[in-house]
Amino acid sequence: MQGLKGVRTVVRHILLAAAALIIAFPFYWMVTNALKTNDEIWQFPPTLWPHAPLWSNFADAWHAAPFARYIGNSVFVAGTIVVLQVINSGMMAYALSHMKFRLKGVFTAAVLVGYMVPATAVYLPSYIILGQLNLLNTYGGLILSNCVSVFSIFLIRQAFLQVSHDMVEAGMIDGASHFRILWTILIPLTRPSFAVLALITFIDQYNNYFWPMLITKDPSMQLISAGLRSFFVEGGAYGLKWPLIMAASAFTVAPLLALFLLTQKTIISSVNLTAGASKG
Amino acid sequence: MKRSAIAQDFKALLFTLPAMVPLTVFWFAPLVYVIYLSFMEWDFMNPVKVFVGFENYQNLFSNPAFYESLRISILFCLGSVLPVVIVGLALAMLLSNKFKGGALYRTLMFSPWVTPTVAVSIVWSWIYEPDVGLANNLLRFIGIDGIRWLEDPNWALIGVLLVTVWKSAGWCMIFYLVAIKNVPPELLEAAELDGANGWRKFTNVTLPLISPTTFFLIVVQTIQALQAYDQINVLTQGGPAGSTRTLLYLYYQSAFDSFQIGEASSVAITLIVGCVVLSLFSFAVSRRNVHYN
Repeated sequence: MQGLKGVRTVVRHILLAAAALIIAFPFYWMVTNALKTNDEIWQFPPTLWPHAPLWSNFADAWHAAPFARYIGNSVFVAGTIVVLQVINSGMMAYALSHMKFRLKGVFTAAVLVGYMVPATAVYLPSYIILGQLNLLNTYGGLILSNCVSVFSIFLIRQAFLQVSHDMVEAGMIDGASHFRILWTILIPLTRPSFAVLALITFIDQYNNYFWPMLITKDPSMQLISAGLRSFFVEGGAYGLKWPLIMAASAFTVAPLLALFLLTQKTIISSVNLTAGASKG
Repeated sequence: MKRSAIAQDFKALLFTLPAMVPLTVFWFAPLVYVIYLSFMEWDFMNPVKVFVGFENYQNLFSNPAFYESLRISILFCLGSVLPVVIVGLALAMLLSNKFKGGALYRTLMFSPWVTPTVAVSIVWSWIYEPDVGLANNLLRFIGIDGIRWLEDPNWALIGVLLVTVWKSAGWCMIFYLVAIKNVPPELLEAAELDGANGWRKFTNVTLPLISPTTFFLIVVQTIQALQAYDQINVLTQGGPAGSTRTLLYLYYQSAFDSFQIGEASSVAITLIVGCVVLSLFSFAVSRRNVHYN
């Protein structure tokens, strides 16, 4: 019996190690290939570690395209969207969970409809509307078109529903305004949900590719994913400069991996909240 | 009394405006607009849109390219959802008992999910390089040689799917870890007393109890798969020979490459209907689950 358990533990560790290797290897490959010379990267069979690591590839790649600008755009746009979503999701969720008003049922249903419609399917009409509003190729367009998320509203509404309505009533009896109740009672009690909202939204928006790429043509407006992709196609000349492409991919991925390592508890806890939110 | 009710309505509307205005402009209006466009013939440039009734739909449903894309979308859903859910569950089972280093594995498995799809797809396109790429070099060890991953219509979809599974399996794993933790240990012990071995315990106790999670993941991942774009755009752009052109990809090619806005819109409508049906189905099922509990 003891022996069987030992075998099982060994098998489990072998399987886990294999899975870990498959997950991690692309990252390892990205970094080591970023350090190779153009000759070595095409060498057969490939080397696991570069003969003479060429750290200057990172600096070369960084200057080969306006990556600082791309990353700055991504951080600015994603950061602004996070702030806006915290505000409008908080207010909307408050109205839906702790206020009485006539259109409540209609608005709840509307949010539900928004939840079901796939965002990518309405990119074409949204593009035309954005064009009519003269917001194509602007930060305003990038930010406003993403400044509301049905998922965020659901997430916060779910958290607010857990807060007893008595606390809100007590606040009203004390003469506090709705804003005050939201700000001093509800938000402090549901901070973990807001942390999840902020992190998930930031990651999503920083990585966002398809929609920002559609609505920005000017390279100076591009977010990092679209910028990296144009570098891959043009600057990298489709594979002629693979070490630089790998270096650029590495400094695109690195900030997110760092953010994830620092906040993994919150990000992973999002699973509990997401599962709750999706149950409506 | 009536006045205070109106005041109450007004205050509440004020709270909903910051979300409802952008929601209306960027979700509901486009939704209505795309339905309208699907009945029009329009090329983007012409100021005049011509009403053509159901012609776009008729054209679409008699177009072999539509059925080919539909087939590829279904293959993409099956080929990404099933492996992602199965691998996610397997990883979660391996990690469900606490042991030293378990948290490290968990972090590692989840990490691809936070990285930009574009960046990691670029890395994978280098891994798929036919001559010196990592994939073919590993396959050479077992005697397989010369797969042209992204240029061979028989392999391109598999190549795109592998990246998709690599990126999402860890995300599913986390959901399963939570679900497995919530399985009451008494039930597992009872099964053990009845003489059930590890596998029987898994199939008879754990698997049924975590089925709501499985269902949730299948629905969410299917909706994700229907909307997959980034990895296809970087790796294959719908090619070679249309072998990775999903419905979503067809939609954007007919809109932004061929400027057939009407027909593109009718593709969008089929996608929307598919997702709405899936969501409604999942609401109905999860409501029933709650009822049983």
